[in-house]
Amino acid sequence: MDLEFSDEQNMLRDAVSKFCETEYTFDKREKIVESNLGHSPDLWKQFAELGWLGMPFSEKNGGYDAGPIELSIIFEEFGKHLIVEPYLSNIVMSGSLLEATDTDVSRELINNIISGNKQVSVAFSEPNNGYKFHEISCSVVDNKINGTKSIVLNAEFADKFIVYLKNENNNGLYLVDADTPGLSINSFSTIDGSNCGDLHFEDVSTENTVVLLSGDDATQGIDKMLDLSILCICAEAIGGMFTSYTKTVQYTKEREQFGQPISNFQVLQHRMVEMFMETEIAKSLLMKAMMQLDANDKESSKTISALKAQVGKASRIVGQEAVQLHGGMGVSNEMSIGHYLKKFTAIDSMFGNRIFHLKRFTSL
Amino acid sequence: MDINFTESENNFRNEVKDFLKNDYPKHVQEKQNKGIQLDKQDLIDWHKSLHKRGWAGYNWPKEYGGTGWSHTEIYIFQEELGLANCPTILPFGVNMVGPVIYTFGNDEQKKRFLPDILEFNTWWCQGYSEPGSGSDLASLKTKAVKTGDKYIVNGSKTWTTLAQNADWIFCLVRTETTNKKQEGISFLLIDMKTPGIEVKPIITIDGDHEVNSVFFTDVEVPVENLIGEEGKGWTYAKFLLAHERFGITGIPAQKYSLEKLKERLGSNIDEDLKQKMADYEIELNALHFTELRSLAALANGQHPGAESSILKIKGTELQQRLTEIFIEAAGQYILPYEGPDGFNSNKVPSSEIGSDFSVNSVSKYLNFRKTSIYGGSNEIQKNIIAKAILGV
Repeated sequence: MDLEFSDEQNMLRDAVSKFCETEYTFDKREKIVESNLGHSPDLWKQFAELGWLGMPFSEKNGGYDAGPIELSIIFEEFGKHLIVEPYLSNIVMSGSLLEATDTDVSRELINNIISGNKQVSVAFSEPNNGYKFHEISCSVVDNKINGTKSIVLNAEFADKFIVYLKNENNNGLYLVDADTPGLSINSFSTIDGSNCGDLHFEDVSTENTVVLLSGDDATQGIDKMLDLSILCICAEAIGGMFTSYTKTVQYTKEREQFGQPISNFQVLQHRMVEMFMETEIAKSLLMKAMMQLDANDKESSKTISALKAQVGKASRIVGQEAVQLHGGMGVSNEMSIGHYLKKFTAIDSMFGNRIFHLKRFTSL
Repeated sequence: MDINFTESENNFRNEVKDFLKNDYPKHVQEKQNKGIQLDKQDLIDWHKSLHKRGWAGYNWPKEYGGTGWSHTEIYIFQEELGLANCPTILPFGVNMVGPVIYTFGNDEQKKRFLPDILEFNTWWCQGYSEPGSGSDLASLKTKAVKTGDKYIVNGSKTWTTLAQNADWIFCLVRTETTNKKQEGISFLLIDMKTPGIEVKPIITIDGDHEVNSVFFTDVEVPVENLIGEEGKGWTYAKFLLAHERFGITGIPAQKYSLEKLKERLGSNIDEDLKQKMADYEIELNALHFTELRSLAALANGQHPGAESSILKIKGTELQQRLTEIFIEAAGQYILPYEGPDGFNSNKVPSSEIGSDFSVNSVSKYLNFRKTSIYGGSNEIQKNIIAKAILGV
């Protein structure tokens, strides 16, 4: 057993951390969120130049073959700084599905993603079916797509969508251009400073679409994508939890009431110890999950559900306590601390919330 | 990063499994798995079986008759014992006074005491807490006055676990009153048969006699029973407390209990209880991996990081949560209760889940309230983390 990160992994963490500290201060982040672009095209370009957009792709596709451990490192650092760049939707979600295919179209698209020239989002969930992602009604009949996909991350800025559809025989993943006639997009801001949208398909012709995966390959592709995405956003939450408790400790040392720093009060000390413990316990499951995920078996999926459920609970405790211990400042939108709570709330809702994953854990 | 144990570590695990299959005394195993309380002889037999295999000093260096195992081997050994529902290895000799003697004692003391600890010929108990000194241990008042070649000891100790079985007690005593309460404390070994020692049972809320008060009235202790230097006892006490934390989470034993509960409940399980168990099991897995993080650091020659300080608090919280799950699973059938020994076989109450199960559930629930109090209460642990890690 060896739980040490390698030198390369530590260097990656340092690089992402330094970049975020200088280029993604909370003020800059707020400007990006307000820009209505959903991300910073400048920084996205820099991500590409730094090679980060190619991380999880295989070498034959021009990537760096990075695995779940490297992605966890990147997301943990992103989480500390509330990054809103569409890394999850493009690199992790679309990336994981495109890597599972082997066509010229997908290879070219991967190249364009790695260089930062194209954005691709996965449209898999639907209104009215909660987290039952494989029970889909959006369908292809007589070469026409009809129906609605919902909560599509970064929908407004995607050039293409990978859409999970039902056809006559089975389920399939279709590559659809965003400007295809008959496809309309309703886009919304999200609680964590990003954006998502509903895709409405009305007699959209499949003529210019490409089937990337179908049948069991599509189903398994989606499952694999979900497990990897859960790992990434849990790492992101844990990064955020770390920052939340350390910022809270710092604040209570500086904030004086009744003639002394409020960190002197034992009731607050013990609550901050709880925040620290929740963060470390969740981090243990994250480490277990990142090392297991490549096995891609029942056990690794079980750990992913355990992680998601634990992070759902722990991040809520840490996020709420951070707001409480910051007092009025905690609920003020101009302070960063409340934005972590929003991030945690967003993360718990995604890809199955705490209740869903408790049940999945017992069923696996 | 690699999540797996090495091949030689896995072979070692199989050795431990083989021992448990062949040499774990059958009469002890049977009682233990039925949840029947072990008596003094059972516990002696258990410890002697470990000694026979050469494993009594599982965490001792070879030069004192120990195994010389690595941190990882010690961990695997403890894990397998827990998963097999073995009785706890009593910590007082092998985990507590033994390491103090071989670290701070003289050659004479090492020769005199260590072999009997390993062979379990002497049963040790711990004389630390006093009626007025709980979490504030250094405020202890039991006095030892040096007169010629002996100390005259007066005072009392409390919460002394299994003192009724003990042959010897190791005590923190005050040999000098100083301004700083941590100074002037000495570490004495006292034969329980010495005149002037009286042991009185304290019955805990589960109805069990596990702990005691021990009174000392003009008890004469030869000076050669002093460990190390007079007045330096606090240093040795702190050393010992560090050893006490070892394996305090009881994770393997909890895994065993959880599996038994699942077996007992079968498919007839309430949906809410199932969620509660899942929630508990997930956190247990998380703590398990937290323990592995500490182990990996130790095995790598590093100090375990911040995560190790969590183990006592979270481990005991989880132990207590599991006992709550048990009584909730047993429902109303926990109500008839005549103590931890169960019922007279002629007169057993009806119980949907089995009266043995209900009795064990409730006695463990009550007994385990102690876990967040002993070994430095969880509030004290939080004070330590706040100071040492958060820096407040």
